[in-house]
Amino acid sequence: MSQNALSRELALRIALAARALPNTDTKQLLAVLSDCVDAPMTESKIATISLTDFQVADGGVFAQVDSHLLQQALNILSNTAPDKILPSTQAYQNGDLPNSVRIACASDDAIHVNGHFGNCAWFMVYQVNADAALLIDIRTAEIPEGLVVDDKNVFRAEQLQDCKVVYVASVGGPAAAKIVRLGIHPMRLEAVASLADVIVQLQTVMAGSPPPWLAKAMGIEASERFKFEQEAVG
Amino acid sequence: MALYIVEADCISCGDCEPVCPTQSITEGAIVFKIDKRTCTECEGDFDVPQCVKVCPIDNCILPLEA
Repeated sequence: MSQNALSRELALRIALAARALPNTDTKQLLAVLSDCVDAPMTESKIATISLTDFQVADGGVFAQVDSHLLQQALNILSNTAPDKILPSTQAYQNGDLPNSVRIACASDDAIHVNGHFGNCAWFMVYQVNADAALLIDIRTAEIPEGLVVDDKNVFRAEQLQDCKVVYVASVGGPAAAKIVRLGIHPMRLEAVASLADVIVQLQTVMAGSPPPWLAKAMGIEASERFKFEQEAVG
Repeated sequence: MALYIVEADCISCGDCEPVCPTQSITEGAIVFKIDKRTCTECEGDFDVPQCVKVCPIDNCILPLEA
């Protein structure tokens, strides 16, 4: 092993941070990081990298990347504490996004839909319409300490009752039935996808011909829906 | 006497199609649909309509008004 070997912890953070950045693999991020700090790379050196350094490093490969994503990657690199890696939520008033639906995504890293319904770290709650998506809340699957609940999965589903769809990497059969009973559509993804990809996919459906139940959730009147149906039949 | 599927509520899960004893349920252009000419509401086959029993959505499959 070379004397410049990274600590296991730092290697993990670099891999996670690379996943937070668009079209970036670990190798590319490593190249940027080695341009930011002198070898050997250590956690304390990495933690001192500023956003500006990060943007201009390695010939400015990250110059065009959204600064929020860069900051999130830096947060992951310097500290994996949950409150540090979570993106900030935006205020939302009913009606701010016309024809929108509220969705929840089970996530363990705040980047991908990779959580199990019953034990994910967070439910990222978004308000989505065909053109925009706002992260409006971050909830947990945890049952508050000291609270006695009849059924943990019913309790979890109730925390998401304002959402129309919940995207998960996995969910048990009985839990899925309880979610459906509360009027929420559980969507299990075939493969782990990023939160951003899932939202874009939903927006594509919303902008095209949404299925009737989704159109209803979006608040599109039946008469308008009729047009979609005509198109679908024709 | 027949049942129908409320189009705005059906999520096209397809659970109802295989349980119909008269093969009256098919996937339509938008959502699943019940052929009212052949639907018996399961009378003679089961005590309760099987599609209603398996449908995950409340009030999605209802009796067609005569």
